[in-house]
Amino acid sequence: MLLLAASASAQTKPPSAFGPPSQQQTAPPSFAGPKTMPPKTVQPTAAPLRAKGPFGSVLSWVAQTQQKMQRQLAGAVKSLKGGNALGAALFLAGLSFAYGVVHAVGPGHGKAIISSYVVANEETVRRGILISFLAAGLQALTAVALVGLLLVALNATGFQVNAWTNQLETVSYAMIALVGLYLLVTELVRLWRRWRGPQDAAHKHAHHYHDHDERDHHHHAAHHHDDGEACNHMVDARDIAGPLSWRKVAAVVVSVGIRPCSGAILVLVFALTQGLFWAGVAATFAMAFGTAITVAVLATLALGSRELMLRLGGGNQRWAEAVWTTCAIGGALVVLMAGLLLFAASLGPARPF
Amino acid sequence: MSRRGPQGRQFFPMALVISAVVGAAVFGYAPRADAHPHVWATVRSEIVFSPDHAITGIRHAWTFDEFYTAMAVQGLDADGDGVYSKEELDPLAKVNIDSLEEFDYFTFVRLAGDDSFLPLEPPVDYSVEYDGTVLTLHFTLPLKTPLDPRRKDVSIDVYDPSFFVAFGFAEKVPVKVAGTPPEGCAAAVDKPDPESAEAAKALTEAFFSQLGPNSSYGSQFAQTMHVKCSTQ
Repeated sequence: MLLLAASASAQTKPPSAFGPPSQQQTAPPSFAGPKTMPPKTVQPTAAPLRAKGPFGSVLSWVAQTQQKMQRQLAGAVKSLKGGNALGAALFLAGLSFAYGVVHAVGPGHGKAIISSYVVANEETVRRGILISFLAAGLQALTAVALVGLLLVALNATGFQVNAWTNQLETVSYAMIALVGLYLLVTELVRLWRRWRGPQDAAHKHAHHYHDHDERDHHHHAAHHHDDGEACNHMVDARDIAGPLSWRKVAAVVVSVGIRPCSGAILVLVFALTQGLFWAGVAATFAMAFGTAITVAVLATLALGSRELMLRLGGGNQRWAEAVWTTCAIGGALVVLMAGLLLFAASLGPARPF
Repeated sequence: MSRRGPQGRQFFPMALVISAVVGAAVFGYAPRADAHPHVWATVRSEIVFSPDHAITGIRHAWTFDEFYTAMAVQGLDADGDGVYSKEELDPLAKVNIDSLEEFDYFTFVRLAGDDSFLPLEPPVDYSVEYDGTVLTLHFTLPLKTPLDPRRKDVSIDVYDPSFFVAFGFAEKVPVKVAGTPPEGCAAAVDKPDPESAEAAKALTEAFFSQLGPNSSYGSQFAQTMHVKCSTQ
């Protein structure tokens, strides 16, 4: 229904802010100039992109598939203006979804960040999935808000959208680095406290223990540990990763999600120039859904391998502690370093394209 | 309680070492922001020869995909007449050309068997052309020192090391010569050969440089053209 209504409005006159496509896309006869008339302008077709090296064929396939999908996406947006708008809309949604799934396999989109975060923290699979979807949804919202505000409301240029995207990226990477730093410091402080443990007052520890027993019932029921010394010990190792906290989850989601997905921005702007902004918005959310699934799968895999590592040790407490601490510090380090590297890279010179 | 103490004491340094190793290993996977292309450019190049048969520069025509084009021309139709005039598009050309310098114009010129790139001068004769669908950037990139291809073959790579922009040769006539090349000299594109030693070297370099922000992942997608002269 909604699609029909929207397509109907697109077929009649789109709101003025969206700009009538026929006017925006007119070929510029004055610029093509005396040399060639517009229809004669040659658009070169690209040869299939090939990569060198032993993995060349795989890399080539990945790159060519992406290019093909992007072209199909452009075609799908344009075909919305044709007769079968509903069919085209469904095709666009499906294509955007697939594009999101594939696009997210490449680096970016917070996969490494989210996976590392859930591994470093005591997060469940369900939480990992939730975080992935929240982050992808926020990325889509940021993209729509940015393009909507700058281009539709303020009539800015593509340059300005790019500039804003870059700013948001820098902010996002800085926040990611801070989250990583926070995780690392918390973990080291906890380890330090444990190391210093024997010197500490006994009652402090007793209190500590009480805490764990409580948590054990809440969150570790799935692991079927009996209460008692051994289990407490293991739980203690788990607890190193830090308490479950919505504030932390929000920090991760916002730090990843404040950076608009560049693929979404391209589709949004392209749809806008075709006078079909709503289609871009729909495509963006379909894309985000696909991205979220990929990220969620990777986060789940990361959690699964942590679980596998834990089981490899049998019931060995030392092993379990080592795995948990390794995950906590390793994950925190990955988040911190990735944030720092990306932050530094994002401060580089402005890209020409 | 008494059992936990000593264990924790040994455990702290051990955990640090393990974590550092695993962290470093995982870090090999650290995300590179730009390792999948967001912009696609179709490359057509002319090798420009001077009257005395030296290569003086490269004239590029890079045609961008529709998505990038939409982004780039958005809002540039200042007078809103639906026509993107030369005056309206010139600032775009200038911004593109100016910021290309930091990226070495994505053009890397070498003599055969040589590892160092030859210096280039800032582009001249630049413009963008918009046909209503896609945008093409034209510019001529002068070599600092004109080059005689008869002494050594010349290779020209076009790529974005970070692979944010995916450059690919045009299907038809990706490279040609302009001006007066020496007799027996021709320009042609290079078909990647996965078996070649150079390709393997490029991959190794790419693998190690993936770890840093100056990733050269994109070098695996280098579009290479050669100027070769038959020895007479």
